[in-house]
This record gives sequence, structure tokens and C-alpha cells, in this order.
Amino acid sequence: MHHRKPMLFAMAVTAFVTLASPFVAAAQSTVDDQQQLLAQIQTDRRTVVLKSMALDDAQVAAFTPVYDAYQVERKKLADRAVELLNTYASNYDSMTDDAAKGILKDWLALRDDENRLIKDYSKRMAKVLPDTKVLRFVQIENKLDALLRLPAVRGVPLAQ
Amino acid sequence: MRLASLALTLLIVATPNVTLAQDSVKADEQIIIRQIQTDRRAVYAQNLALTDDESEAFWPIYDQYEAEMKKVTDARLQLLDAYAAKYDALTDGDASEMLATRLKLDKDAFTLRQKYAKKVQQALPSVKALRYVQLQDRIDNILAANMYSLIPLAR
Repeated sequence: MHHRKPMLFAMAVTAFVTLASPFVAAAQSTVDDQQQLLAQIQTDRRTVVLKSMALDDAQVAAFTPVYDAYQVERKKLADRAVELLNTYASNYDSMTDDAAKGILKDWLALRDDENRLIKDYSKRMAKVLPDTKVLRFVQIENKLDALLRLPAVRGVPLAQ
Repeated sequence: MRLASLALTLLIVATPNVTLAQDSVKADEQIIIRQIQTDRRAVYAQNLALTDDESEAFWPIYDQYEAEMKKVTDARLQLLDAYAAKYDALTDGDASEMLATRLKLDKDAFTLRQKYAKKVQQALPSVKALRYVQLQDRIDNILAANMYSLIPLAR
């Protein structure tokens, strides 16, 4: 167990570096490439979440529409993140205090909206699933976010 | 399923055994958190390149932030203890209560981050304030990834 987890961790992170780094990729890609990457991440994320939730058939039927609606909202936030990264990238070489102030404000607003979204959808999930499954859903989302953001936060150079 | 999806699914559902959940998680968490708290200050000092005046303005705000955030961290550890203690027989009532507490603590943590980002912004040039928040994100993300890898999913 002690060796298996770090290995799996490294494997998953490595496998997802190109797939799941919209922040890194966005700085170098066209808008089309970014959209394609985001679509791929969403497809994979859905597969991983559905598999990890360990639901019975009735629960799958109840969960999927709510989860798909959640994914639509998440995509809007992911699009905002890409847009913000593009702003950051285009200002990076000559970052003014005003630009930094705007980026910081938008970044904090984005994080706030992410927190609100998971809270909102955990309430919706609680109407169709047992609470232990809702907790599991939030745990899975947290794990995925933490893993997928690792390469992203490391790939973006610090403001200077 | 794609290979990457499979690897990630295995990682997400790989459940630490119950002994780990009950005995080792708290110890591991404490070690990671203590280490990060110690190292965090050094990381900021090394990466913010503050002038003397900026240092004088920044560090008292930073220390206040850490002191306030410690209360949230302590509450998170308490919640984790409760989760580990009830893990084998977690009821829907427990899960609902724990999730509510968890989401409230996340909100508390974010509110603190927001409040102190504004204070740092008043004390430092905005470019350095942005750099501070970026560093904070990196550290918190590494910490979160480590923490979540130790916590088994609810059954």
C-alpha cells in the first residue's frame, strides 16, 4: 500500500499533465485547442466520477442528470479560468499593478463561485441520493480538483 | 476506459485500510500540516523578495492570517477525527452533518483568504499581492492533494 499509492499518484499525474492542464495548455494554445482539451477533461472526469461513485442502477439514473447539469456549470467556470489565464499570459511580461489587481479580483471571484457551485449541487444531490453518497461525491470532486490542479498551479509562472 | 481515466479512478477509489483511517491519518495529517506551516513562511520569504518596508507591512498581516487560519485547520482535523471514528458505520445522518460542517469550514477558509488577500493588497504592490496568492494556491493545493490521498471515500 505504501508503495502503491505514490506510484499510482505519479502515474495519474503524469498521464494527466497534458490532458488536465488547461492553465498550462491555454497559455500556448489556440482557443479551439483549449475547447478541445476542456471537452476531453469533462468526458474523462464524468467517467471517473461515475465509476468512483459505486452507485446502483436506480442511483445512476437519479444521479446522472444532476451531475450533467453540474458539469455544464463547471464548464462555465473552467472557461472563465482559461479566459483569466489568457489575460494573465498577455500581461505577464509587463504586468502593471492595475492588471494584477484585476486578475486577483477575478481569481478570487472564480474560487468563490466554485465553492458556491459544489455547495449548491451537494444540496441537489441530497434530494436524489443517500447522504453518504453525497459526501462521497464531494470527496471525489475534491480529490479530482486537487489532483488536476497540481500540474496547473505548478505550470503557471509567478507574477513578477 | 482510457488509461488515464483508469489510473485516476484507481487513485480516487483506492481506499486506505481501516487501520490507516483510524490510527494513522491523524498522525500523517499532523506531520504534513506542521511541516507545511513551518515551511510556508520560508517559501513566502524566499519567493516574495520583499523590501524592508514591505516586510514590515507584510509579516504582521501574514502572522494574523496564520493564527486565524489555524482555528479552521484545527476544526478540520477534529472533523477528520470524527469521520475516522465513525467510518465503519457511517450513517446518512452523520454524513449529512459532516458534509455541512465541511462546507462551512471551506467557506470560512475562503473568507479568510479573501479578507487577507485584500489586506496584503493594501500593504504591498498588487503584483506582489498576486504573487502571494499564487504561492498560497500552490502550497494549499499540494497540501490538499496529500490530505485527500489519505482520506478514504465514504461507503
